[in-house]
Amino acid sequence: MSEAVAELPAQASSWSGFRSAQIGWRNLWRNKRRTWLTSGGIAFAILLVMFSMAMQHGQYAAMMENATTLISGHVQVQATQYIDSERFEHTIDEASVLRRQLLALPDVVAIAPRVEAFALVSSDERSFAAQILGIDVAAEAATVRLLDMIDDGRVPAGPDEAVIGEKLARNLDVAVGGELVILGAQKHGGVAALVVNVVGIISSGMPDLDRSLLLMPIAAVQNAFGLGDEVHTLAIRIASLEDSAAVTKQLASRVPADITVRNWNEVLPGLEQAIEVDRLGGLIMYGLIIILVTFSVVNTFIMLVFERTREFGMLLAIGMRPFGIVGLVLWEAFFVWLVGAAIGAGIAIAIILGLADVGLYMGEAMEAMAAQYYMPPRLYPAFTTEVLLVSPLILLLGTQLAALIPALRIRRLRPVEALRSE
Amino acid sequence: MSDVVVRCSGVTRTYQDNAVPVVALQGVDFVVKRGEFVSLAGPSGSGKTTLLNLIGGLDRPDSGTVEVDGVTLNDLSESELSDLRLHQMGFVFQSYNLIPVLSAQENVEFIMQLQGVAADERRERASSLLKDLGLASMAGRRPGELSGGQQQRAAVARAIVTNPVLLLADEPSANLDSGTTQELLELLRTLNERQGVTIITATHDPMVMGYSKRQVNLRDGEIVEDNSSRAA
Repeated sequence: MSEAVAELPAQASSWSGFRSAQIGWRNLWRNKRRTWLTSGGIAFAILLVMFSMAMQHGQYAAMMENATTLISGHVQVQATQYIDSERFEHTIDEASVLRRQLLALPDVVAIAPRVEAFALVSSDERSFAAQILGIDVAAEAATVRLLDMIDDGRVPAGPDEAVIGEKLARNLDVAVGGELVILGAQKHGGVAALVVNVVGIISSGMPDLDRSLLLMPIAAVQNAFGLGDEVHTLAIRIASLEDSAAVTKQLASRVPADITVRNWNEVLPGLEQAIEVDRLGGLIMYGLIIILVTFSVVNTFIMLVFERTREFGMLLAIGMRPFGIVGLVLWEAFFVWLVGAAIGAGIAIAIILGLADVGLYMGEAMEAMAAQYYMPPRLYPAFTTEVLLVSPLILLLGTQLAALIPALRIRRLRPVEALRSE
Repeated sequence: MSDVVVRCSGVTRTYQDNAVPVVALQGVDFVVKRGEFVSLAGPSGSGKTTLLNLIGGLDRPDSGTVEVDGVTLNDLSESELSDLRLHQMGFVFQSYNLIPVLSAQENVEFIMQLQGVAADERRERASSLLKDLGLASMAGRRPGELSGGQQQRAAVARAIVTNPVLLLADEPSANLDSGTTQELLELLRTLNERQGVTIITATHDPMVMGYSKRQVNLRDGEIVEDNSSRAA
């Protein structure tokens, strides 16, 4: 560097703050129509992505809550060997003691102990294999909604009462008031035999369950199958599903080594996979929307840089550095984004908050299909940090990149040529 | 401090116009001393604007050297040229070239802001200068709200507010009527005579030539006449 020039004060960087932002903001309104169109595109993209994402997140929350409170519970505790082999003899010993200990934890709301056995169930003339589920009726009702699905009759109260699946009842040709004989194998090899009265029919809408389920009071099943104070599963309801991972970890530290605590996503891996697939589909769609809008912003800024080449030449001529001018363009892009984001996010937030209480009714046709996927008939948008921040921030990055690409041309601009441009 | 502000030695510049080489300057030797008011005159294509651009560091010669206040511009990087233009030179353009979204006051302050002058000083110097140039009541107006003459005066204010060594004006009267041109030239003459600002203009306006102390005529990229003894 020439010594004489080196002695000159360096170009101030402080100008790049307020004045640069001020010029960027004012430049924005030199071509109002173009600004509104570009900001409008950004607003539309943010509105669409925020709203869709809120509905998607609301849908996932509903699916997870519905699925986990239907039968499985938020968290399950089982013998590790039972998870691996599902063999009847792998039980949790002294289950009532463990249940009391876990119930004492602050995040645990309810625990439903369950005994699960397979047996032959016979009516007068027919026999079918059934899954016997021994339940504590009060604990079950506090943990999941399984008993709400009894659409004929009532919950089993006594040791000789049972509720059976609607299709199993049809197969056995029994109704409420009918009698069934249950024959199974005890833990230590003896014969488990029970005679029960059907007091209710359960209709879950899930074919496997309706074809095989037989619910009975847990004590009767434990007695008949020689289990004592043993269960196969402790299904747990916690205060908030969002905390399930943390609570699972906490529970895992309180159980014996041969017992495993599983979060809902391990118990229902299909549900998590379905959510992930849907989330990925959503992300691809959002990505395409954002790319389309970003291209329109690139177009705007290509036009803008070409139109203002002469002005940039003047700025270079009076001594402004190229990066300072690039900064002006980036400020303008920031304000284009800000206007669009404020409008798009504002409308999206208003719609999301408006629907938060009433939900969005999916229509009768969708209602039946929704039920199959653990979905409620109304979808409620979820207003999360991700919903609020993801699309505006990605579009901020997109608009900055979209402006930077043409703005970098300014670096190669020679003042004498720029000043000649029309 | 040297008495010479500008020294061009054997400067040549050739442009490519649709792949056809156009010789704009061929071996120009040219010296401007401190405090001179020089007009570069000549018909279109004579090379006067090219010479002005080379002196202003807006362009680079193909051969020869250009020195401004003792600094050889050929040796400087683009950043160094930017700094030199910012601190040592003032530019007045044919079409004013003010920043359209800034008021006259803000336009004048802008260049000082690039220099890192403190806000209070910027405001004071800009206001004072605009007042001296008769633009006090227009200081808050943007270029689009000013007449051509007012815009050119604001552009002059921007060019001289940093007390440059050299003021370069390219066809400063091209878009002005004769009355406004006369006002502008009176202003330039005052700056030159009272403040000692060295001024070089490229022009084909006889009125501008008449106000300058020295007229250098170019034709086909060469200096054909240098009348350094004339007075305004």
